[in-house]
Amino acid sequence: MDKLDRPPFAITKTRTRFLGLTLDECVQAFFGGNAFVAVVVLGLITFFIFREGSGFFNQNWANLELYRKAGLEFVDHLKQQEEDHTALIRYLFDLRVRTVKHYTDEEGMSLANANKRLMAFDDYSYDFGDAVEPLRGAVMDLGDWVSMVKTRALVTEDRLEEQRQLLAVGKVDEAAAIKIEEIDFGAELQPLLAFRPAYAEINAEFAAGLLRVLALPDPDLPTPELQARLAKFKVLVGGYIEEFPRIEKALLDWDYTKPVPFAKAVSSFAVGGRWLTASFWQDWYGVVPLFTGSLMVSMVALAIAVPLGVGAAIYVNQLAGEREQRFIKPCIEFISAIPSVVLGFFGIAVLGQAIRVLSQWEALSWVPGFPVAERLNALTAGVLLALIAVPTIFTLAEDALQNVPRAFKEASFALGATRLQTILRIIMPAALSGIISAVLLGFGRVIGETMVVLLCAGNRIAIPDFTTGFAAFTQPVHTMTGIIAQEMGEVVQGGIHYRSLFVVGMLLFVIALVINYLAQKIVQRYRISIG
Amino acid sequence: MDSPASSSSTAPGVAPAVPQSSRTETTPTLIDIQNVDFAYGDTKALHDITLQIPEKRVTAFIGPSGCGKSTLLRCLNRMNDLIDGAKVERGSIKIRDIDIYRPDVDVIELRKRVGMVFQKSNPFPKSIYENITYGLRLQGESNKARLDEVVERSLRGAALWDEVKDRLHTSGLGLSGGQQQRLCIARAIAVAPEIILMDEPCSALDPIATAKVEELIHELKEKFTIVIVTHNMQQAARCSDGTAFFYLGKLIEYAETQTIFMNPGNPQTEAYVSGRFG
Ligand SMILES: Nc1ncnc2c1ncn2[C@@H]1O[C@H](COP(=O)(O)OP(=O)(O)OP(=O)(O)O)[C@@H](O)[C@H]1O
Ligand SMILES: [Mg+2]
Repeated sequence: MDKLDRPPFAITKTRTRFLGLTLDECVQAFFGGNAFVAVVVLGLITFFIFREGSGFFNQNWANLELYRKAGLEFVDHLKQQEEDHTALIRYLFDLRVRTVKHYTDEEGMSLANANKRLMAFDDYSYDFGDAVEPLRGAVMDLGDWVSMVKTRALVTEDRLEEQRQLLAVGKVDEAAAIKIEEIDFGAELQPLLAFRPAYAEINAEFAAGLLRVLALPDPDLPTPELQARLAKFKVLVGGYIEEFPRIEKALLDWDYTKPVPFAKAVSSFAVGGRWLTASFWQDWYGVVPLFTGSLMVSMVALAIAVPLGVGAAIYVNQLAGEREQRFIKPCIEFISAIPSVVLGFFGIAVLGQAIRVLSQWEALSWVPGFPVAERLNALTAGVLLALIAVPTIFTLAEDALQNVPRAFKEASFALGATRLQTILRIIMPAALSGIISAVLLGFGRVIGETMVVLLCAGNRIAIPDFTTGFAAFTQPVHTMTGIIAQEMGEVVQGGIHYRSLFVVGMLLFVIALVINYLAQKIVQRYRISIG
Repeated sequence: MDSPASSSSTAPGVAPAVPQSSRTETTPTLIDIQNVDFAYGDTKALHDITLQIPEKRVTAFIGPSGCGKSTLLRCLNRMNDLIDGAKVERGSIKIRDIDIYRPDVDVIELRKRVGMVFQKSNPFPKSIYENITYGLRLQGESNKARLDEVVERSLRGAALWDEVKDRLHTSGLGLSGGQQQRLCIARAIAVAPEIILMDEPCSALDPIATAKVEELIHELKEKFTIVIVTHNMQQAARCSDGTAFFYLGKLIEYAETQTIFMNPGNPQTEAYVSGRFG
């Protein structure tokens, strides 16, 4: 009998199980599940945005196709010609304003007298303006015709869609009851094609009319500078007339059956300069004005927030005493707790007005764009956005400075460096990549900010006039975020406009992704560089 | 009077007076510490320290952890100024008869005269060349030839020249721990201080690197006055001339190194140096 006296080697234990899992495994599953949910939600959001947005390009393609087929493209050539003429009239008007200013300000004439002196000039202008009449008439007639064709085409499309839906739910009779008008674009466009020979005549007459005006004796202008402007006007008109044959050729070559390449549907979004929706004529979805607006506002914001945020971070981290630190840090961090709609409200009520008043000061008239024409503009929005970017930049830059080993600082001081020398030559270079990534993330923060720009950027959808240099920053702009917030509520779900907003959202999403990726890369490099 | 704190006539990089081979007990006092009390805020770290450190000799500070060795060392170049609430509460510290805590003393000038090497080597994240020229550039030196010369002399002085002469423009952080520490020594001697303070310069080094630094200390005392903090009794015995033993913020005994190790006057000292300390 070999009976063991030793106790059994009891290292196993019975575990309570829940759904076949031990307690440890349950805990693990809980935390893992949370992380999983976060990843899944991000994935769903991405998927949703891209799904909604991706349909846009096809719809835009159809949109451009119809633009051509219904003949709007044809008429737009003529419209452009007419608009260019209007621009020349504006040039003359501007010249007139300058001349009146000269008469009243320099020569002390009364306004009535000045106007009297300009009678010859006005006659000249009227003659120039009247020359366009034959073209204008044709544009109106053809324009009305093609818009009608387009409207009918759209109605047909709607009916077809309706029919499809009825058929889908099996209501065959009702579907058959819908009257569908087939549109034969070839026949509908006959008036346009027939117009081409007449157009050559109209053009000849128009050009002759313009030349007649140019041949008139120059109206009397008081200074050489103004006379030079008139001479330039004549050159511009000459160039304008030279374009005529090219327009004629474009109309002759125009072919409504030529398919629009798909790339056009993409490029008209990506590099298109017009964002024009719900228009009676033709909708355009060009993101450039919005993108420029977002970029300009962010640039203003960063130009202010970077020195402020980084400067404050250096002060707090390197120079301030402990008590100051305890006061300043929460203050700056509190800024980020202010709801941005409140900031926007402040921007409208106080800042916009303040900038306007400030810009009217004589002493500041050297600043480009001052005095500002609009209270709400890129500058106003940028200044407020700076306030939003400062906490981000400050906190991250302060972190970067904090991570510079104290030993560097001590070594520098021990070699007889002043505080300033230590900051500039040791601390800043060592923290540089951290600071750059702070600035990048600040940029990400402002380009995604919505409420402030919606309220304070002025919301004019147009590419600012960069020929004025920095003054462009005092013009109102619209932004990518602002347009989504403003228009998303009014669009038809699934429509082209709706989808276009999603594509703008996609663009914002990609920008944010790129910024975050770069910031992370830079921080990694920084970790390596300080060992 | 020749005052290290107020005159700035000494050209940077120029070694102080030619070393005399008279390293006898009669060497003049360079640093004169009188009745110093020091506190970090409310906690006293040093009590009534009185100590004279002679010129061109190596003086070692020894004692158990937390006894105030580093604190006293950092008083000598006023590095403690960087710590909020830390101050000398009583007594005076004079270098060449100038009280370095006098209000009109320029701390920047003082630190140029009193260099420091830290426990953990801390080269800047810059090239070896830039590390060494940093101090001189701060003083406005930009003559390339002059900088080159100082770099070579300092690196030779720190026994590092042969190892790095081909990679002067690579990062100082790419060197080994021992090389980094010698780089820090080279950086300190490049500005030609009179005094070099070393706070446990070998504590992170292996025996071979330690031996090199110790050898270096031997050579450096020809030109510089050295104060070194160490936990290594053999090291203190090997490379110092005088030794001060601290305990709980007080100076227990200060004498010739031989005396401290062979024939200590105080039982606490004896217990400590012989390793029987509780
Ligand atoms: N920055 C500081 N703030 C407050 N107290 C400090 C500070 N630095 C040191 N002390 C305290 O002062 C006393 C002396 O410290 P010190 O660093 O001088 O000791 P040490 O002798 O160098 O020790 P070790 O050998 O461990 O380096 C210790 O009690 C320490 O806690
Ligand atoms: Mg210490």
